[in-house]
Amino acid sequence: MSTPNKPLIQIKDVVIGIPHKRRPTLIIVNNANFDINYGEMVGIVGESGSGKTMICRTMIGTLERRGGKILSGDVVFEGQSLATASESDWKKLRGKSIGYVPQSALAGPNPVLTIEAQLAEALRNTGDTKNIKARSKELLDLVKIRRVDTVMKQYPYQLSGGMRQRVMIACALATSPKLLIADEPTTGLDVTVQSQIMDLLKEIRSSMGTAIVLISHDLALIDEVCDRVVVMHAGATVEVGSVKDLEKPRHPYTIALNSSRIDIAEPGSELVTIKGSAPSVGEWNPGCRFADRCSIVQSDCRIGDHPALIGGSGTHQTACIHTELLERI
Amino acid sequence: MAEFLLEAKNVSVTFGSGATKVEAVKNVSLTLRAGEPIGIVGESGSGKSTLARVLAGLQVPTEGEIFFNGEPVYKGAKSYTGEARRQVQMVFQDPYGSLNPQLTGLNAVAEAVRIHDKTNKELSETRALELLRRMGIAELDAIKKPRQLSGGQRQRVSVARALSASPTVLLADEPTSAIDQSAQAQLLNLFRGLLDDGLAIVLVSHDLGVIRYLTNRVYVMKDGVFVESGITEEIFNDPREEYTKILLASIPGTLGTAARQKLQQG
Repeated sequence: MSTPNKPLIQIKDVVIGIPHKRRPTLIIVNNANFDINYGEMVGIVGESGSGKTMICRTMIGTLERRGGKILSGDVVFEGQSLATASESDWKKLRGKSIGYVPQSALAGPNPVLTIEAQLAEALRNTGDTKNIKARSKELLDLVKIRRVDTVMKQYPYQLSGGMRQRVMIACALATSPKLLIADEPTTGLDVTVQSQIMDLLKEIRSSMGTAIVLISHDLALIDEVCDRVVVMHAGATVEVGSVKDLEKPRHPYTIALNSSRIDIAEPGSELVTIKGSAPSVGEWNPGCRFADRCSIVQSDCRIGDHPALIGGSGTHQTACIHTELLERI
Repeated sequence: MAEFLLEAKNVSVTFGSGATKVEAVKNVSLTLRAGEPIGIVGESGSGKSTLARVLAGLQVPTEGEIFFNGEPVYKGAKSYTGEARRQVQMVFQDPYGSLNPQLTGLNAVAEAVRIHDKTNKELSETRALELLRRMGIAELDAIKKPRQLSGGQRQRVSVARALSASPTVLLADEPTSAIDQSAQAQLLNLFRGLLDDGLAIVLVSHDLGVIRYLTNRVYVMKDGVFVESGITEEIFNDPREEYTKILLASIPGTLGTAARQKLQQG
């Protein structure tokens, strides 16, 4: 059963690159460092291109299919090192101990299979092929789909976006995973559907003890449903802390993200925007990659490697080396 | 000068017939004054995009009429004609699909300028650069093709293109839903600047945070009809319709918390 405060999966100084035949390897994630505990709900935020989805892929072992490679560091799942795991090792984990809900609800399910067939496929993965039909129905019940018998016979195009996403979650839950990774599960869905999906994820977590990773660029959403937050910028984790810790952010990037939030802005007031755009992959300067966009940048921010997370083993860690200047922002 | 710059009177849009008949918009009326920001909110399938297309002159209403400056615009024709065609411009939802992948931002905007102003290449490019600069796109980025730009930059190119006709109404259909938070803040700051310049904006969105931030009045749409409309602040503080209450309670974070508490108390 779940043991709180004990890491389920650890991302240890992971460096991800895309090797190229002629050009040098393109580094896309560098200095990614965080843990996810048993039964915990963790949000990963960051702009497009910050490496959120790449980190996701390292946790489900589909990085190499996209041409990526873990160059150094390690991913440890329940004590098992996965950095050099083979595809057959991954097959024992993916869709079993680790479930995945992809970003696009509309394109997620296989369009030519009925819902019943898709669930059956996911269930056969468990190795137990008995009572598949009954178990499929149970799964649909679990994700709160009504008219289960009708839906079982339907194809994805006959379902709404919210229903399709529920089916995807049902497939991911088929094997009662210990870790469920949801990559922007509600992007493109309505707010009302979004809040239903979030309620569902919270329920799954409390009834099954599943640890959930929620990837999103919506800080308000993460604040509401997660216990802890991992903030990423340009391929590095820049701040890690509980939702409460992040109310007092200790990295200029998180501060900027917080102040560009529309839900807490006065109507009609000037919204704070982050200067410039995130540095493109492969165009990183030495030192802190946020330096060019930072309002409290110092000369020593631009030398050496990207700063590692500081704050020791405490819950609130930041990669900013000049936290004493944060008050000036 | 008419009281309203743009007005929809008893507009209905029906697609198909017989068993496959879909009434997307059912007898709705809407008004927009010059320089005013209004919002249309609703879920997918509520008919808000169809209504936006009618207002933009891209969809002939089955019934009802649109008035621009007091003048009926469709008059049985297939699309907007005359002044309204130029003065009502639209920005589309998908910044990835609404720009020609073969044209640089500069060429895309310059092409629109040439169509509306009937000027030569050189003058249109100067004007295009000016519009792009106003939208925060530097010359260096203006000569890039869409695939080299970020989602937020593409959306700003789309806005610059819409502005090339010097419109008085900008219709924006979910302009912020495909871009991330800081790009969204940038775009909304630009929209505020446009409002200061006297442009009227119709913002179609399911993101209530954006609606609350930018608009003065809002129409709440469900199943093709307006279930509630009024001053944005009043609707957010004191929604009357059950549907609006549910919609507000679904907003994540602080904005929805109060609405959720109210909903639970009944």
